[in-house]
Amino acid sequence: MSVRFQRRVANLLCRALESILPPRLRDWGLAIRYEVAEIPEDTRALLFALESLCGLAPRAIGILLMQPFISLFGAAVHASRAGANSGFGALHSPRTVGALCAVGAVAMGLVYMTLAGAPVGYLGINAGALVIGLVLRALVSRIPGAVGRVSGALIFSLSLLLLATALLGLRIEGTARWIGFGGVFVQPSFVLLPLMLVGFSRTRTPLATIGMVVAALAMTLQPDRAMAAMMTTALAAVTATRADRPTSMAFTASLLAFVVTLLRPDAVPAAPFVDQLLFSSFAVHALAGLAVVAGLAMLLVPAIIGWSCDKDSRATYFAFGSAWLAATIAAAFGNYPTPVVGYGGSAILGYVLSLSALPRPVRSRVGSETVPPDDPQASRDIHSKIALA
Amino acid sequence: MSRTRALSNHARSVLAALLKAGAGWSHGYELCRLAEVKSGTLYPLLIRLEAQGYLEAEWQQPAEGGRPPRHAYRLTKAGVQLAHANPPDRKVAARPGLREATT
Repeated sequence: MSVRFQRRVANLLCRALESILPPRLRDWGLAIRYEVAEIPEDTRALLFALESLCGLAPRAIGILLMQPFISLFGAAVHASRAGANSGFGALHSPRTVGALCAVGAVAMGLVYMTLAGAPVGYLGINAGALVIGLVLRALVSRIPGAVGRVSGALIFSLSLLLLATALLGLRIEGTARWIGFGGVFVQPSFVLLPLMLVGFSRTRTPLATIGMVVAALAMTLQPDRAMAAMMTTALAAVTATRADRPTSMAFTASLLAFVVTLLRPDAVPAAPFVDQLLFSSFAVHALAGLAVVAGLAMLLVPAIIGWSCDKDSRATYFAFGSAWLAATIAAAFGNYPTPVVGYGGSAILGYVLSLSALPRPVRSRVGSETVPPDDPQASRDIHSKIALA
Repeated sequence: MSRTRALSNHARSVLAALLKAGAGWSHGYELCRLAEVKSGTLYPLLIRLEAQGYLEAEWQQPAEGGRPPRHAYRLTKAGVQLAHANPPDRKVAARPGLREATT
């Protein structure tokens, strides 16, 4: 390992640690990074960074996973102290509510799968996907300007991945929707497309628009009616709320893609515990059916709350809700995965990741813009510190 | 805030190193070497000590230009009392290189 490389890896590890630490503890991460910079020997600097990461990362990840619950509890306490009489105060952050809904929907899915006799491994995959999704969501949410400058480039890059999947992905019965990761097959469109759609509803740059057109082409090539329907419905929602040229172009492309997917044959057979669960789950047990319905209903809660509370961002919430409603309807009538409640980590990852593109609550938006990322903060929150210790 | 648990040998060593520095400020890497603890042990400990009011932390600007600021630490009055009340375990401190016994 070259000397320069060791120093770079050490710096990278420190930055990774900073990114997963809770915001009010992040200056401790900064302290470690600056301390590493002062260590003259590169090997010792790398060891210092690595040991710091090993010492702090497990607890930081634990805090990340607990954050939605802590936020909701904090908001509930705040609302009750303020004497909020609307009963809505605790639910003013659709991102937080969405994370809780994801947890609830996955739990409902586990209830269904248990009653339906699904293999234990299926339950583990869904639970594992939820944990990974929540960690990724927390990391993606912390990218500065994720919805601004880099959003268009991100959407375009992700669309290329979808196109690559359509061209090079695993092919079953003439469709190419999956890629393999160490024996696990992931459907990239389910993971990435919701994030792209919600992101596009907020930032419609020329590059983002091209990305949408490329994604529509990818859905056509795969072909995937469910994802094409998701795309068309979400972009129709954006067009209905805030029509402009980029949106119209993207919507037209997605509509054409959807029509083509309807005309092309799609002979992929239904998979047990995955497809068409909305009605078939009631045949297993009434409780299983209710769990599936309740879980699917939970997916729309963030959109409903966001639509009600944040009038400035209604297009985004409408797009988010429309996308997941379309995926649910497609799964009810065709051989397509039932999102989040059915077996399959892709939809879970996709749902949780798409939450990260929702707008932040107004108060946090102001707060995050006023704190420079590399400036040490003088004060830290005592509760976060105790939680980490 | 009172402690309910006995301090670990690592914590005692870090407290001793900070106590030795007196009113002077210490830095992370230096503390790791003096107390013979890993940074992954040191920083959670520092965070806890600061949260409990035993440690002060401040950012210090570098003496020479082009260097980043450094986070520096020293014991508060309560921290000095804690360090005096919890000296390092001499048997362990006298034999560096031994790891703590596990159950």
